[in-house]
Amino acid sequence: MNKLPGKITQMQQSGAVLLVDVDVDGQGFSALLIEPAARPEWLQAGHTVHLVFKETEVSLAKNLSGLISMRNRMMCNVSKVERGELLSKITLHFRGHSITSAITTRAVDSLQIAIGDEVEAMVKANEISLMNSI
Amino acid sequence: MDAIFAETLWITCKFAVFTTLILIVVGLPLSYWLAYSKFRFKPLVEALVSMPMVLPPSVIGYYMLVAYSPRHWFGGWLLDTFNVRLAFTFEGILLASVIFSMPFMVQPLQNGLRALPDSLREASYTLGKSKMVTFLRVLVPNIKPSIITAIALTFAHSIGEFGIVLMVGGNMPGETKVASIAIYDEVQALNFAKANQYALILFSISLLLLTIIYSVNKKHDPWKAM
Amino acid sequence: MESNVITLEVEKMMLTANGKLNLSVDTRIQTGEFVALFGLSGAGKTTLLRILSGLMKPDKGLVKFGDTVWFDSSRGINIPPQERNISFMFQDYALFPNMTVEENIHFAQPMKDNATALELLSIFGLSEFRKRKPGGLSGGQKQRVALARALARKPQLLLLDEPLSALDSGMRLTLQNEIYKAHQLLGATTIMVSHDLGEVFRLASHVLCIKKGQISKEGTPDEVFSDSSISGKVQITGQVARIAKQDTVNIVTVIAGGSQIIKVIAFDSDMEALNIGDNVLVFTKAFNPMLVKLMA
Repeated sequence: MNKLPGKITQMQQSGAVLLVDVDVDGQGFSALLIEPAARPEWLQAGHTVHLVFKETEVSLAKNLSGLISMRNRMMCNVSKVERGELLSKITLHFRGHSITSAITTRAVDSLQIAIGDEVEAMVKANEISLMNSI
Repeated sequence: MDAIFAETLWITCKFAVFTTLILIVVGLPLSYWLAYSKFRFKPLVEALVSMPMVLPPSVIGYYMLVAYSPRHWFGGWLLDTFNVRLAFTFEGILLASVIFSMPFMVQPLQNGLRALPDSLREASYTLGKSKMVTFLRVLVPNIKPSIITAIALTFAHSIGEFGIVLMVGGNMPGETKVASIAIYDEVQALNFAKANQYALILFSISLLLLTIIYSVNKKHDPWKAM
Repeated sequence: MESNVITLEVEKMMLTANGKLNLSVDTRIQTGEFVALFGLSGAGKTTLLRILSGLMKPDKGLVKFGDTVWFDSSRGINIPPQERNISFMFQDYALFPNMTVEENIHFAQPMKDNATALELLSIFGLSEFRKRKPGGLSGGQKQRVALARALARKPQLLLLDEPLSALDSGMRLTLQNEIYKAHQLLGATTIMVSHDLGEVFRLASHVLCIKKGQISKEGTPDEVFSDSSISGKVQITGQVARIAKQDTVNIVTVIAGGSQIIKVIAFDSDMEALNIGDNVLVFTKAFNPMLVKLMA
């Protein structure tokens, strides 16, 4: 599980669907949740929360140009590459936090990812959960 | 069978039966107490009960004889209050035998009680039953093999009692002369045929009793079946 | 129903395998609830149950059943188990081996009542075994006799010490229903010690989580076990059954609800202090799961 601490800046509700904007060290994130209008106490603007997302949901890109629908984009440095037979684990540095991405080894090869590279990590809004940080 | 022979066997039998009966009555509550009490000096009581197993009968016999003497406070008190003399009487050897056979009754009972799971007692208490009802209806029926063992051991042991009877009871025909002493007597008198008769009867009874113990213990093992 | 709220404010120094541990509990248990005492072994669950039953004396504190004082160290009151009108079902069932099934039931009745005994035997499917001694019964049958006997006492409080721990999982499921039936029949408060999550979820209306001699959490099973501090809407609790390292990831097999097998990919950061047998929460977002209608 990747965990990033952030602060809720804004929330937009439509029926049971809730879009939450979270600020992590100056970078904006959005999380799409299913949440009834009576939300738990911690799920309010101004509260500190953790963004939680699974390693396998983190896509990587190099020299990305053009438009893309992914709302959560992090410019990172590669700090570690663990190659498996089919699945590899890339450890990334993002503004002082550590993030792990699990992608296929084929993708690692085609992007030619190596330690020290600058890559962009991306997660869809609906893949991010929020957790109360106590 | 002559009259003295029959009388000696009768006394032996009476002696063993009374010893066993008295010890059941005394032994059940005593072993219950020894099995479950948290009394600080319980080990001392346990040691006292077991003393006859390690001491020669002459030691205990000597002390009992001294205590029975009318000049001793115990003997004097018995004589003054009940007009009872214990030295060289049937009652005297009976009391000595009860004390001397105590471990043979108490130890199997105590082990039997200890081997029962605590939950049996506790279940009975939580079902509202008193300690007495629990003892009589739950504990005693579930240590039946131990009770049979204890009775048979005590009976066999008191039939074969020699040293303490001789010490406390002397050798009074018709009063304290039991078969084991009679054997000794007959051998001293070179009366080997008589000695053999006594010996054979004692041997057979003891063999029978021990066989019963072992077959009972083989059949009953309720805790394995549970 | 009269109000028989249980007041439990006790302390007791326990000697456990890992040294001394102070049991310290202060709680109220409402009438008619099915309460589970949940936690690891050695946490003090059984000790609490024994204190309630009167089989064990706390070092200090107060135990009250409604207005009746069962234990009060300040006044030197300690009512013996015989007078507490409870039934305690032991882990080993503690059936009396010298009595038949029927006699076990009769023994528990305050007044011998053959009609009620026969009814209890038939409710728990024991009629055909009534003349048998416990030694000749299977584990499940013994458990049902123990339940029937516990009810025969007509207790105001039913205490169950890990009632299903000696049975295999198939048997557990059927007997959980029997226990629930017993609770319904009695209409009184039931308190059960358990470390089985599925059992607690199925039976209990209120859970006290006991951790190192203290209540760490309490509430309904949903409140206690599902984590409202996570936004994920698909939450399943289960037990880790297997951890297999494959390639750069770990495949964790979780058994949920007693028989559902779930496999989850986990990374090393998730694996810290995770062991087989641990209770875990598997969660995902409402967006991810897909549904397929099952053919009838």
